[in-house]
Amino acid sequence: MRGDNLEETLTDILRHEATVGAPRLEGLEERIVAELDGRLPKWGLVKMLKHLIAPTRGARLGQLAVIGATAVVFLFVGTFLVGRAPFLGGGSDKRVSMSAVAESGNSVLFLMPAPGAQSVTVVGNFNNWEATPLCDDDGDGIWTASIPLSPGRYEYAFVVDGRWWGQDPLADEYVRSFGDYSSVRYVGRAGDGA
Amino acid sequence: MKEGFWKAFVVGVVGMALFLGCGGVILAETTTVDVEQALQALPLSQRERILESFKVGLVQGQLLPEESLRLVTRLTAVEGNPVEKEAILLTLAFALTEGLPGKSLVDKTLEGLSRRAPLVQIGQQVSIRARLLVEVRDLLYSKGIFVAAEGQVASSVLLPARFDLLIIHIADALGEYLEGGGSPLDGHLLKEAVQLRLSKLEEVVIPVEDVELVLARITAGDLSRVLQKVLD
Repeated sequence: MRGDNLEETLTDILRHEATVGAPRLEGLEERIVAELDGRLPKWGLVKMLKHLIAPTRGARLGQLAVIGATAVVFLFVGTFLVGRAPFLGGGSDKRVSMSAVAESGNSVLFLMPAPGAQSVTVVGNFNNWEATPLCDDDGDGIWTASIPLSPGRYEYAFVVDGRWWGQDPLADEYVRSFGDYSSVRYVGRAGDGA
Repeated sequence: MKEGFWKAFVVGVVGMALFLGCGGVILAETTTVDVEQALQALPLSQRERILESFKVGLVQGQLLPEESLRLVTRLTAVEGNPVEKEAILLTLAFALTEGLPGKSLVDKTLEGLSRRAPLVQIGQQVSIRARLLVEVRDLLYSKGIFVAAEGQVASSVLLPARFDLLIIHIADALGEYLEGGGSPLDGHLLKEAVQLRLSKLEEVVIPVEDVELVLARITAGDLSRVLQKVLD
């Protein structure tokens, strides 16, 4: 009985509060935003930069040194990597061209038996006809290079100690070009090329 | 003091990352300005014409900036008559103004340079390839195979990239046939060469339906006439 009264009383109070308080809730969000806006510090660009940069002179110098040194190192490494460093005697774009070929394709094995050779390279339309060296790490006279190639048709030839070698036994076909042979491989078809 | 150090460290790392990112993009990208500068190294009588056509090719996507830069750089580096070098560039310029893909011509030039072929011979080969591109394109047009305009859909109207692939590979197959000493009068051998090339690339590079379309519409006689026109 007493509990019922208490419940009724509470319900009445809450109903009264809701009726009376509802108008006060109107525009509450805007009022809070305005209040917070008034309390937040006003940061100008200069002040923000001052906060970002190290607080002491020593720390600031250290920070500038780190950024500067990185910038110099990056400039040299970057220009060298993209092969655009005429002042370094560069200018070859082999690295660029090789990375251009390496687009998640099949890795194609180029293999050339050349016992006693000093250098063996492969040139083709996959590396803009610039030499990519083959390796013979175990010295057995079999020179190899594995080059990632996207699906397509590739013409190439080996260059053994400066001599053109256009007829690769592993080729799918041969073509005559500029009076000499080039090998052709088709990459991407089952059983072909790769 | 400790807080200051960490703040400096974090800002330093962020600054470095931003610099590396922006610098990398700027350095890695070849632009027409690079091509223009590279062309300055060659004594050319028709520099403006070459440059303008290169720009057209770059805008139309028929030539990549790095391809043109590579070509100009390699031509500059090789010893030889500047007139012969310019002839190669003018052939490429002609193809680009015709709206034809320049990649196969650049590739042929680079191959010739790599083989240390005489510039005159390279020029001749590149010129034959350029004329083949023109004739093959015209042949496809005459057979009702066209480049699609924006939004156009029909079985014999191909998107530019697919149309270019057909031109490149048909012209290339015919060019190799010629270089291999084949006669332009042997139409059936020409058709065989084209058929072999396209069938080896179908599905992998060229859509099957494009190969079927070409092989159904082009006859041995058509290909023979193309080669005779090129050699005239």
